[in-house]
Amino acid sequence: MQFEFLLEQVVNGLVLGGYYLLIALGLSLIFSVGGVINLAHGAFYALGAYISIEIGKYLGFGAAVVLSPVAVALLGILFERFLLRRFYAADPILSLLVTFGLAMIVEQLIRILWGAAPRAVNMPAAFKGSVFVGDFLFSRYRLLLLAVVVVVLVSIWLLLHKASFGRVIRAGIQKPDMVAALGIRLQPYMTAIVMLGVGMAALAGTLFAPITIVHPAMGAEVITVAFVVVVIGGLGSFWGVVISALLVGVVRGITINFIPAAGEASMYILMFLVLLFRPRGLLGERIEKFE
Amino acid sequence: MTSTRHSRYRPLWIGAAALVVLPQAMHAIGLTTTTASTVVILAIAAMGLNLCVGYAGLVSFGHGTWFGIGAYAAALIQRYWFGDEIALPIVLSMVVVTGLSTVAGVLILRRRGVYFSLLTLALAALTYTVAFRWTDVTGGENGLGDLKRGSIGPIDLDNPLAYYILVALIGLGVLYVLLRVLRSPFGHVVVAIRENQLRATFQGYPVERYKLAVFVLSAVVTGLAGALLGFQTYLVSAEAVSVPFSGELLAMVVIGGMRNILGPAFGALFFILFRELFSIWTANWLLWFGLIFVGFVLFSPSGLVGIWAQLRRRWRAVPEQAAAMSKRESHENLALPALLRPHGKQGNILEVNAVSKHFEGIRAVVDASLTIAAGEIHALIGPNGAGKTTLFNLISGLFAPDSGTVRLLGREIQGLTPYQIFNLGLVRSFQITNLFRGLSIYENLRLSLQARHPMRFNAWRDIDSYTDVHAETAELIRYLGLDGFEQIEGGELSHGGQRLVDLGITLGCKPQVLLLDEPLAGLAAAERERVSNLVKNVAANIPVLIVEHDIDRVLGLSHRVTVMNQGEVLMTGTPDEVRADRRVQEIYTGTGTPEVVHSRRIDEREVKSTRVLRFACVNAFYGKSHILNDATLDVREGEIVALVGRNGAGKSTLLKTLIGLVPPASGTIEYEGRNIAGMPTPDIARLGLGYVPQGRQLFAGLTVRRILRSAAWRGRPTAAMA
Repeated sequence: MQFEFLLEQVVNGLVLGGYYLLIALGLSLIFSVGGVINLAHGAFYALGAYISIEIGKYLGFGAAVVLSPVAVALLGILFERFLLRRFYAADPILSLLVTFGLAMIVEQLIRILWGAAPRAVNMPAAFKGSVFVGDFLFSRYRLLLLAVVVVVLVSIWLLLHKASFGRVIRAGIQKPDMVAALGIRLQPYMTAIVMLGVGMAALAGTLFAPITIVHPAMGAEVITVAFVVVVIGGLGSFWGVVISALLVGVVRGITINFIPAAGEASMYILMFLVLLFRPRGLLGERIEKFE
Repeated sequence: MTSTRHSRYRPLWIGAAALVVLPQAMHAIGLTTTTASTVVILAIAAMGLNLCVGYAGLVSFGHGTWFGIGAYAAALIQRYWFGDEIALPIVLSMVVVTGLSTVAGVLILRRRGVYFSLLTLALAALTYTVAFRWTDVTGGENGLGDLKRGSIGPIDLDNPLAYYILVALIGLGVLYVLLRVLRSPFGHVVVAIRENQLRATFQGYPVERYKLAVFVLSAVVTGLAGALLGFQTYLVSAEAVSVPFSGELLAMVVIGGMRNILGPAFGALFFILFRELFSIWTANWLLWFGLIFVGFVLFSPSGLVGIWAQLRRRWRAVPEQAAAMSKRESHENLALPALLRPHGKQGNILEVNAVSKHFEGIRAVVDASLTIAAGEIHALIGPNGAGKTTLFNLISGLFAPDSGTVRLLGREIQGLTPYQIFNLGLVRSFQITNLFRGLSIYENLRLSLQARHPMRFNAWRDIDSYTDVHAETAELIRYLGLDGFEQIEGGELSHGGQRLVDLGITLGCKPQVLLLDEPLAGLAAAERERVSNLVKNVAANIPVLIVEHDIDRVLGLSHRVTVMNQGEVLMTGTPDEVRADRRVQEIYTGTGTPEVVHSRRIDEREVKSTRVLRFACVNAFYGKSHILNDATLDVREGEIVALVGRNGAGKSTLLKTLIGLVPPASGTIEYEGRNIAGMPTPDIARLGLGYVPQGRQLFAGLTVRRILRSAAWRGRPTAAMA
């Protein structure tokens, strides 16, 4: 009994971790390539959720899951072109301040457009209910989420490690000057990375809308969690972020079961513990610009 | 160098005047005395935060934590222990904030820059969830109500004006304390750490302690404001510790102006006026506030104060400070000031005995030994990669040697930290000029002399009152021949001037022995002369170990020379012995004629072959340093053109300018008849210019084949440079 209970919590924690992962991975990618910390990342997550509600009204949930991230990725182009691009070479603190301001603006815009009241999103009927896997009972929708996260994760990994796109990106992170000297312009790659990053955040917003509450401040709430994940994993490390997201999810999931009120606090405590022993995070490397 | 009493405390007078008129001004636009109190309270909080953000360069996204903790602590202390007393809860809450922020600071200050900001953000989120969830103590969503303002003697603080006066007096007190702190030696060191932490460390300051102290002070001031707001509203809620509130505080600092002590106070006033006036006609005032905040970050990072200063400059022309080199007075051959001389040390000062260091299989330094006696200049020469800089790093403690000993004045120092070694009197300069670019020359040098003064932690006495330090600084400036330049910022000086200041900073540390790493690199001829004269002069009293590539000059300068090659010491001797040694000659000029498989001399006919590359009158700068000065060269078809010159002569810069990594300031670069000056690097590369930089520029984690394939589909290089 004790074991089964624990296993169930671990699976729930993994779902939660996958949710964090979708947001934190994009954050970490934009950071690795452009050197900017995007405090407005949560705003794109919130936009993803709200836009999916709008699309869902007319075209149904399935279309919303696809179209909402695409729409947000297109917004990402504007964001990269007119704001982020100014800050690649600048003091990272400036981009922190600007994206912080942008997050504030987007949250207010959402309030104006969609109102301050929380929205509930209905789960498509096909995914309601639970299934038995072996002896355990799992919510169908959560299993679906877990599957989507795994697919996204594998695609991103393949894109970064097997495709020529990823080769240029990884080379550009290390020696941007050399990549330029090989005749490759990094600018379009950066735009693509920002689109990918904010698109993933929007996907998280869309997919998790039915099991969370959609409200204007949701972006601000999730962004600190995403940072905790990135800081624990180590800035700029792919596997660091993956491990850390799952770890945070599981720790939080288990804590909620024993001391419900301490659920959120548990991950911050985890973060401070990790930093005590590994100041650059689990798999983080030293990056001079950010010290 | 001292300021008058009046100008010193000008912010205090401005603050006092503003506090007197604030309530009336508020009434005039239909706002209440209570709003005036809120302005003052937020101003206190923002000024506290600005200690971190503006002065220490620690951008905290989580000062709401301290605001909230101050408020909760005061509320709880009053509720459980003091009934309707207000003074003691406030004082005790400051004690609580001191304790908690010390613990948090020790942890968070392990990281700098962006990481620090993220950690403060997480801290704010943590405090918020604790405040929100720990219902038994904090009252959760409802917060803690029923606070009492109480009274002081016959004055009832429930009267809004009485409370305003209390808050205003506290605000004035805080302003006074902050002014004192910022004008003290402590405050100046904090600013220096913001400008260049490494330099401050190598002036002998324990920077971590300074940062912790300023973090705690900042937290306590912000916490005090939190307590005051709690008593004003009779209520403390989780709102005060929320992340958005932390952001609003930061916005006040940025909008007001973070390099000015009163800036954040104006930011707070702006915030409240904006909120009160805009919320009359739109519920979405935060949207507009966000837009204004972003606008300030983008277009006016120095905030309202910066805009004000610009306007004033337009009205009143400020006399330009002439920074011309003509102002530089030269006092060649002044003796080293007595204050910098070590006390009568004779014999061997530094003994390096058979030290070795391996890096992952590479033997960087093998059994190297050398001795430096009092009064001598000892040169360390050798080709690139001979291990000179590594030996330097072994001596100065940046790396610990695998074996061997290093003795300074008879005491073994290998294995100590660089900081400990520095404090024993072994001071080094760095290859790259390292000074406080944003601080005046005077400040740069004074910070150095003050590092060994017992008052360096004093956070109360005015810096101007230390006449002894000022006299020493003036003497050092005169010795360096920098008089007339005292007030110019470090970054404004020419490369040679910066190098002099850098040397001055090292001298100001009062070394027993001086290690100079390529002090002449990248300097023009006149500047080389000046710096080497200075080194000669210094060495009469302080022995110098110098690494330098300008062989002629360094052999003319030094008393003894150690030659290194491939990690080993080849020989040590007088400059004449070194000049005469055949092995040394071999290293520097090679052994006779190299075999040439395929050689083509340029003759009349070939000059007519097509010109591929033309470089005409190109100038390039790194900041203030003029690196390429009207550089001109041609490359024709079939030619191999070699570019030779000393370290720092501009060879690499020329190649980087060619490929577009360094934008040229002027001149023409033609490739196959097309001007490519100023084009972005990828475009130049696609035209067919290949660039092979020095060092190993491989992409870790990618195979060679993949790298080549990535580049291949972008056009094939036709001219290679190496």
